Amino acid sequence: MISDYAGITPKGDLQLLQKLGEKLRNKAFLHINSTRAGGGVAEILQRMIPLLQEIGISARWEVIEGDDEFFNITKKIHNTLQGNLDHISKEMWGHHYEVNKRNAEKINLEADAVLIHDPQPAPLIEFRKTGKWIWRCHIDASNPLEKVSDYLRRYWEKYDAAIFSVARFARSMPIDEFIIAPSIDPLSEKNRELSDQEISEVSERLQIPRDRPIILQVSRFDRFKDPTGIIKAYKIVKKYNDCILILAGSPATDDPEGEEVLKEVKECAADDPDIFILLLPPFSDRDINALQRMARVILQKSTREGFGLTVSEAMWKGRPVIGGAVGGIPLQIVHGVTGFLVHSVEGAAFRIRQFLNNPDMAIRMGEKGKEYVRTNFLITRQIRDYLSVWYALENKGRDILEL
Amino acid sequence: MEKAIAPFEFRQCASILKATGEKAKNLRELREIIARVSDEAIFHHTYQYFLKGHIYQYTNDFAQWAGESLEEEALAEHLSVIDPYEFKTMEDLRGALLAVIDRYLEDFPEPREAMSGDEFHFNETITLIFPVGIRAKNLAEFLMAIKYVDAGSIYYHFYEARVRLGGGIDDFSAWIETSLDKKDLAEKVRAIDPFMHSIEEIRKHIIEVVEKEARRDMEVV
Repeated sequence: MISDYAGITPKGDLQLLQKLGEKLRNKAFLHINSTRAGGGVAEILQRMIPLLQEIGISARWEVIEGDDEFFNITKKIHNTLQGNLDHISKEMWGHHYEVNKRNAEKINLEADAVLIHDPQPAPLIEFRKTGKWIWRCHIDASNPLEKVSDYLRRYWEKYDAAIFSVARFARSMPIDEFIIAPSIDPLSEKNRELSDQEISEVSERLQIPRDRPIILQVSRFDRFKDPTGIIKAYKIVKKYNDCILILAGSPATDDPEGEEVLKEVKECAADDPDIFILLLPPFSDRDINALQRMARVILQKSTREGFGLTVSEAMWKGRPVIGGAVGGIPLQIVHGVTGFLVHSVEGAAFRIRQFLNNPDMAIRMGEKGKEYVRTNFLITRQIRDYLSVWYALENKGRDILEL
Repeated sequence: MEKAIAPFEFRQCASILKATGEKAKNLRELREIIARVSDEAIFHHTYQYFLKGHIYQYTNDFAQWAGESLEEEALAEHLSVIDPYEFKTMEDLRGALLAVIDRYLEDFPEPREAMSGDEFHFNETITLIFPVGIRAKNLAEFLMAIKYVDAGSIYYHFYEARVRLGGGIDDFSAWIETSLDKKDLAEKVRAIDPFMHSIEEIRKHIIEVVEKEARRDMEVV
């Protein structure tokens, strides 16, 4: 319910949503992606579609279907757009197109606005019927394998507009390109308020002592998240401040290096009883929420990152956050204001010590961080922006729109 | 009979960011693109700087980038002194930005490059303006409202209004002067320096001066 967001998200965002709902009332807004569950896109769509319907928009969500070969190809496309080396043959591109063609025959593509998420369903543009077509790129395509992006360009350029998460992910294209940051849902299990009792229940079950400050990072055990670097930073801090380190995350099952990284992390932690390596099963949202609320300082010390929404999730709990200065993290952490950006293990250690020794500063930055997320990275803002793009395309040529 | 007072209707604006596809990795490229980029892009990177919450060190995006990414702090200081509200046209503002950069390039012809991934990306915005459903008929209601509205509403009436109305005038002081006939109070609101405060600080200062005036009015009664 949209009214559930009153008092949480900025009033203006809700008012603008209602206004745009009035302007676009009963119009059809079709979203298409390639998975119904799992991943950030599906997570946001599940919440967004009912909210759009509630403000009077006839919103629909369709998922394309494909065989294993199709998804192997689209995984390659995804990875090469993020800069990995791989080859996509003519036959593979042909299959990518054919699967989309079959889907176009089954899915009702008639709508006033169609938002296509990511490259998997991008060829659907060849079968457009009516309305404005917008391609939404959720991945970091700032350094793609040129051969792959050049091929996809034939589809992208047929859209009315494209949306990227960060300005530097945008490509030089002859269509309108908008920048819309992703968002978190403040009412989801991962982000909603928790009672002290709920937090204690999690700390008892996971056997986390609460007698000393907790330093936390929630992430996959992946080298780019630098888990061993965090242990090294913790060891520097430990010389000055007694604290506990928690590394919580799921093993990266689709990453052959995942097991190896976890082994390295365990070796690096050795037998330190104050380092907790928690392997959380999927859907541990409430546990993650509770761990973040227990923590004194939260880290996201990535060395490579997409947008890094876990930073906003941590900031939303009002905790001071230290992040690696990569990907979308600097858009969320304004250095020295909403948290600290670091470039090294030593930098992370130094900033952790600063937060542990200056609780007032930690509280102040945590509060600023929460407010920054409230105004910039909540789901209501993202829905508002999607509708604004659609409305702007309906009123093309005007840069000021009065509602 | 007393003259009816025209109420103050609170409005708000929100912007969506549009990429121009142009990016600069050093000062020469920045200069070259500033010279030809759209007025909307210049507008966004200067006037709309305050919409971001003003939590950065400088007063426009160009200065911020020069200081933070190029580490050319003297240039960042020079660019920060440019007051966009002093210029009648976007061309004049563009000219002032170019003049500062040209002067700097004469003294330091080989400034450093930004790190990869930290280039300056030129953006424009599309702005949506909407009423927020709040109306103040007198100073007391105005005081209540100013405490309640979103920062985006303060931005629209205090910053964006200067472009619409010109002459360093904002919507709040214009209404206080013309509808409430309180010239002194209007002057006090106008004296709040838009460059030296965040939107929340602006809100605090407005509350301070308006509250004082409202209390005085009440005590007279």
